[in-house]
Order: sequence, then structure tokens, then C-alpha cells
Amino acid sequence: MDPGIDEHLAAGRHARAFDLVVPAYRDRVFRLAYSILRDRAAAEDAAQETFVRVWKALPGFDGRAALGTWIYAITRNTSLMELRRRRPTVSFDDPDSTEAQRAAENIATGPAQDPERDNLLRLLETLPHNQQEAVRLFYLEDRSYEAVAEQLGMPLGTVKNLLHRARKRLMELVRPDEEIAA
Amino acid sequence: MNDPTLIGPCADYEHDLVDLQDGELAPERARDVRLHLERCARCSTWAAGFGAIDARLAAEITAPGLPPDFDARLRERIASQRRLPDAGDLRSRLEREHAALVQSLRSGARRRAVLGAAGSVAITLGVLAASRRFLEQGMSLLPTLTEGPGHLMVLGTASAVVAIAALAWSIARGGLPLFGTER
Repeated sequence: MDPGIDEHLAAGRHARAFDLVVPAYRDRVFRLAYSILRDRAAAEDAAQETFVRVWKALPGFDGRAALGTWIYAITRNTSLMELRRRRPTVSFDDPDSTEAQRAAENIATGPAQDPERDNLLRLLETLPHNQQEAVRLFYLEDRSYEAVAEQLGMPLGTVKNLLHRARKRLMELVRPDEEIAA
Repeated sequence: MNDPTLIGPCADYEHDLVDLQDGELAPERARDVRLHLERCARCSTWAAGFGAIDARLAAEITAPGLPPDFDARLRERIASQRRLPDAGDLRSRLEREHAALVQSLRSGARRRAVLGAAGSVAITLGVLAASRRFLEQGMSLLPTLTEGPGHLMVLGTASAVVAIAALAWSIARGGLPLFGTER
């Protein structure tokens, strides 16, 4: 985090702090929202809404949690609310919910141009929701375990475990699938 | 089911193979694992399969970039939100005015009560004074009221007392406006 943000927050200069927060976090906030919503326009809206909430709540930010942790929690909540708004009958409390998976799948828009890509991403979407999210974020964040752990609010070991299980399962799924396709 | 990727790697190496692929393995341990891979076909095949999946995921999972007008739109949204506190200010100003009005009405009510009490006292004193004077002077008062130079003064005093009492009575019942109670 930009040390200037901390200084401005400590001095109560929230508007100045916010001016630094946006460029420091906007890309990660957007990628986190995109990993949940899988729709560019929806992720953009969620990122905007996240920063509006951050702007409103920044004067009350007490620094008990790291600023990034706090912002990512707002991002996750905002994105999940958007997901619920689009599919109000779906519960996302259970990260392994197949309904949640299907809802998230249906939100993704735009036809895949590459059938192989489409195939692998479809296989990814058969995994539990928390595994999918960890895998997407891991690659969106340039293979950073730490970034995924911070953004998902999970311990590093949990993230590694999710990624390991997800990719191992994809290996198992890809081979028979490719043999059938051949 | 003879595919080594389905059988899996040696149990002791599975996590290390993943960490090696992710670049998370300490250099010393990475050297040991690479040596093991050279000797173990099962692990090397599994690692190759894992590496292929990793490469495909890396290539296929991409996020679109944020549009260039993201910041501008955000500033606009926040500016529109900033106008809301103005509406809040208006509401709080109205609430303050309402509270002041209530306070003023309460003090007006107190004033009316005091005036009402004063009016009652004035009427009582007037009646008592008139009665006493009437009793003391008896019938001799009658000629004074109807004749002589003092009769106008007596009548004027009695009229003033009655007028003050009536005024106090009216104010006590809100019949007349009072300065300071209306905003």
C-alpha cells in the first residue's frame, strides 16, 4: 500500500487518501470482481460500487484490518450482492453450491471463440465455486498465492490447497475429455 | 487407466511438484525435486501434465482491462453522492428550525401561564380592594361615584383593572399573539 494513504488516513485527510486508494487498488478490485462475476460490464459496475462504498466508509475505517483486506471484503460483498441481484433465488452461502455455479456460469457472456478454451473453462466451471474462484484469481493475479489469499480473505495454506485440488481435478477431467473429443 | 497423470506422482513429491511449477519451492528443495524428476517417469509425466494444465489456464484465464474512463465515471458518481449530504444539511436545518419553534412555543406557553396567573391575581386584588373600599365607605361611596371631582378617577381605576384582567385572560388562552412566539 502507498505509505501516503496511511499518513492521510491518520491525519483525517480522507479525500486525499481516497485519491491514492483508487489507483492503488482499482485493478485488483476489478479482477476480483471479474473472477466472481465473469462479466466485464458487471465487474466494472461492482468495482465502481465498491469504491463508492469505500469513499463513504473511509472516515470510519479504524485500521484494525489492513486497508486492502477491508477493500477486498467490500469488493466480494458487492460482487456477491450483484450475483444475487441477477439470480435472486440462488444462495451463495455455500461456496460449493452447484446452483451458485450455474448462476455464475449463466452470467458469463460472450461466445467463446476457441473451442478448446471453451472446453477447459467449462471443465473449470464444474469445480466447486471456491476452487473456481481461487483458480481464476490465481491466474489473473499472475500466479500470486499471496494476492489470492489477501483478496479472498483466506489463509495462504487454504488457497494453496484449493489450487492444488482444482488443478489436479482438471488434469483428471481433461484427459478423458480430450480422448473422447479425439 | 495406465496414464501416469491419473495414477498420480509419488506421494512425497506431489506438493513439491506443484510448488516447483508455481515457482514457490526453495532453491535447495527445487534441485532435489528436479533430480527426482529425472529418475521418476511417473512423477515427470504427472508434472508434465500438470504443467500443461497450468499453461493452458494461464493462457485462457484473462481479464479485460478497465476502460480508460473508469476514474472519470467514478468521480462523477462520487460527485453525485456528495450532493446527498447537501440534502442532509437541508433536513438537519429544517429539524433545527423545528426544534427552535417547539422551544419557542414552550416558552410562549410558560409566558402565557405567568400572565394568566398575574391576571388572576390582579382581578382578585381588584375585587378585594373594591369590596373593602365599598364596605368601609358604605353607602357614602355612592355619591362619590356619581358626584364630585373624584368619581372619574375611581371609575377609571376600576376600568383599568378590568381591562388588564381581560387582557391577561385573553393572552392566557392564546386569543392574542405574543411577540417572540411566532417565527
